This record gives sequence, C-alpha cells and structure tokens, in this order.
Amino acid sequence: MKKRVAALVLAVLMMVLAFGFTGCTGNEKTDWAYIEDKGELVIGITYFQPMNYEGADGKLTGFETEFAEAVCAKLKVKPVFQKIDWNSKVQELKSKNIDVIWNGMTVRDELLAEMDVSSSYMKNTQTAVIRKADADKYKDLASMAGAIVVAEAGSAGEVVVKADAGLSQKYTPVDTQVKTFTEVKGKTADIAVVDAVTAAGTIGEGTSYDDLMILSNIALGEPEEYAIGIRKGETELTAKINAAIKELYDDGTLDKLADKYNLTGRIIAQ
Amino acid sequence: MSIDFIGVNLQLLDGFKYTLILFFATLAAAIPLGLPIAFGSMSRFKPIRLITRAFVWVIRGTPLMLQVMVVFYVPGLLFGMPFKSRMAAVIIAFIINYAAYFSEIYRGGIESIPVGQYEAGQVLGLTKTQTFFKVILFQVIKRIVAPMSNEIITLVKDTSLARVIAVGELIMAAQDIVSVYGLLWPLFYTAIFYLIFCGVLTLLFGKLEKKLDYYRG
Repeated sequence: MKKRVAALVLAVLMMVLAFGFTGCTGNEKTDWAYIEDKGELVIGITYFQPMNYEGADGKLTGFETEFAEAVCAKLKVKPVFQKIDWNSKVQELKSKNIDVIWNGMTVRDELLAEMDVSSSYMKNTQTAVIRKADADKYKDLASMAGAIVVAEAGSAGEVVVKADAGLSQKYTPVDTQVKTFTEVKGKTADIAVVDAVTAAGTIGEGTSYDDLMILSNIALGEPEEYAIGIRKGETELTAKINAAIKELYDDGTLDKLADKYNLTGRIIAQ
Repeated sequence: MSIDFIGVNLQLLDGFKYTLILFFATLAAAIPLGLPIAFGSMSRFKPIRLITRAFVWVIRGTPLMLQVMVVFYVPGLLFGMPFKSRMAAVIIAFIINYAAYFSEIYRGGIESIPVGQYEAGQVLGLTKTQTFFKVILFQVIKRIVAPMSNEIITLVKDTSLARVIAVGELIMAAQDIVSVYGLLWPLFYTAIFYLIFCGVLTLLFGKLEKKLDYYRG
C-alpha cells in the first residue's frame, strides 16, 4: 500500500516536471502587440536624483519619470514604473519582468549584444569625485595614478578607469554608483569615477556627502549618450518610441524638462 | 530635496512592512511543510528517500540569493511567462529554502526519541499515526525549540536578500534614501529595527522554552 502511494506521488511529480519544461512555451507575439494588449509599458528604474526619485509628496518624479510619462502618453499606454536591481537589468528585460530600461543608461557596445536601444537623448560624461580635503592633490589625470579608484561594476565609469593605466593601478569595482561615494567618504577609496549626472544629483550641501567634490576641470574619457534599453529584435516598439522622442524634442518638451532638473544643455538634437 | 528624522523612519517602516510580510508568510508555510519533507527523508521506500534527500541537498547547497533569482527569472527566461508578483516569488523561494532546513531539524528531533516510546504506544494499542501525534510529536517539539529559534532568527536577517529582485524591504528602503537624499546614516540605523524584532523573538522563545519545560519543577 505504502509503496503504491509512493509510486503515485513519484509519477505525479514527474508529470509536473515534464509539463513544466514543455507545456508552456511563451507567446510569439511581437513586443508592440504584447504591450498594446496589456495596455501598459513596464519601465525598469532605480531611484536616484535627478532621474527617478520620490518627491516630497511621496510621488515618483524626476527627469526620466516625466520623460517616460510623456512618451507613454504618445504611445497611448500606461507607464508602470518598476524598481529593479541595476545589476540584473538584462535578466529583467529578457524575462519580460520589465519592457524597457529607462534610467540614464549609458549606451555601450557590450550592452548592444544584449538589447536594442532607442535613439540617444542625453549627453553624459564621466567625472571624478574626491574628498574636498584632497582638492590640492589631484590637479590632472597624471596625479591620480596610484590612487585607490572605485566605480560601479560594469558601468561606463569602469570602462574609463580600465582604459587609463594610471587610474586602473588600484581599482576596485563596487555594485552601485552611490556606494562609490560612501567608499570615498569613508576613505576606503580616494577617487570615485561616476556619471556626471548622478554625481551632481547626489553629493553636496545637505547630504552625507557634503565633504566630497566633483573634479569638473579634469576630463575623463569620451562623452557618452543615454538611451532607452528595449528587448532585442523589437523594431516596432523601438520605432514608436523613437518617433515619440522626436516629437517631444521638436515641441521643446525635452529641453523644458532638462531645465527643470538642472540638466540644461545635455539634450541631444533629434 | 531633504528629509527629516520622522520622514526617514516612515520610509524605513514602509520597507519594514515587507520584511514582516516575508517573515510571517515564510514561517506560516515552511513550519508545516518541513514535516512531510522530514518524513520523506526518513522514508523506508528508497526512491522517496533519495529524491527528498537530493532536494534537501540542492536547497541547502546553493545560496538563497541564487534561489530567489531562479524562482523569479527562470519562468520569464525559459517560458516567456514572467512572474506577476516579485513578493510572491521571494516568498516561494524562502518557503522552499526554510522548509528544507526545518525538515532537517524535525528529522533530528524525531530520530532522537527513544524507540521505547514507540514500543510503549504499541503496547497501549495505539496505531503508528496515533503514536506519532499523541506521544512522539510533543516530545519532538520540546526538543527542537532551541534549534528552531536559531533558524527563525536567521530568517529575520535573510529577508534582506529580497532586494536582489527589487522587493523594497528594509535594507532596500534604506539604500534608496542613500541614493535619493545622499544621507548615509539611515542604512546603519536599520540595525535598530532588526535588533528590536530579534529581541522580541528571543523573549518569546525564552517564554516558550520555559513553558515547555514541564518536567522540571
């Protein structure tokens, strides 16, 4: 009797497994049909100023938030903002847990292997952040050689650091851009290489990082561009988003948003 | 943009809410679910015993963080059917993980009961099921309170792993404050929340142990 019950349990277990691996082989709809069907665009973000953050009233706001809302209004879908772990953005996109990545994402060749991108809409540069007390120490790129440098793993900042023999001597990758500031403040590192946009939004008066400063006079690497990450091969959705970006550029909405969030002069002409 | 002490506490409490939900949901399901797994790994029918032990080996042999990512991402990656709720994915991963650990504690407790107790049940004319639920189980509970409280207190802190799939528990709430307001202290301040919670649990388990200690005057 017991053996028979056990055998039955086994059989059921095996059937469940077999069904699990063959039964549900996703839908083959294109992304646009898929998104139009559900009527919403799930937008992967992380919280940071000035791109996506909760305002005083507890509502999500920021340059990217308002930009995404404007584009969704043109696509006639509802924007749904989903916080993600930035290190998992590719899995989030591929597994359809989000539909786009829209969070000040710097376009890089490595990313293009994993996803398609919209047309670029904003210029970004990498910048060095140091302790104010060290202001006299770092006058040019050469003087930074041998300092302990931190950047976000896999970020554009890391690419800049690795390309420079001096900066990369004592380089440590950490998991978020904000953590690089904590490292420099806590003296476990000397220089953080981060997005200029992030740095300007996060350090300064009234924050825990008021003893840090941006080295704006030293240029690091080439200028970069921000774009929206879209699932690979979804040309229809990409085309629709690009058309919406162009409209928002042409009617001046993008420039107005940039002014509102202290990003004046960074918008790329469409 | 700035935030005051009360504002920080409110945001952290909002994150702590998810910590609590995850904690209680995991306990509610994993505590009973551990029992059939414990029976499975003690089964005299070899295939069941082997499968159950392999399952426990896989669950205890891989990081919980990885299990959370597998439960959440694999349905979307392999079958194009994304998980609807992040919280549900974390809860499922935690239940599976903790049920496996609990089952081993149960097994240890059940196997520690002398065979004489079963024989006594048999002599009194009880069936095997009756013997287990009327004689054995309460002695087991008494013996596993200490290891269970250990595991449950670990669970309080493991909840912070939920942030790998962006469930906004306490640590993630604090990290958001760091990145939005550039304030560092809230991250370390979360320790107070965990300490109070674990302190309450420790007191409760102490009381429970005392209550179950009925053989000593």
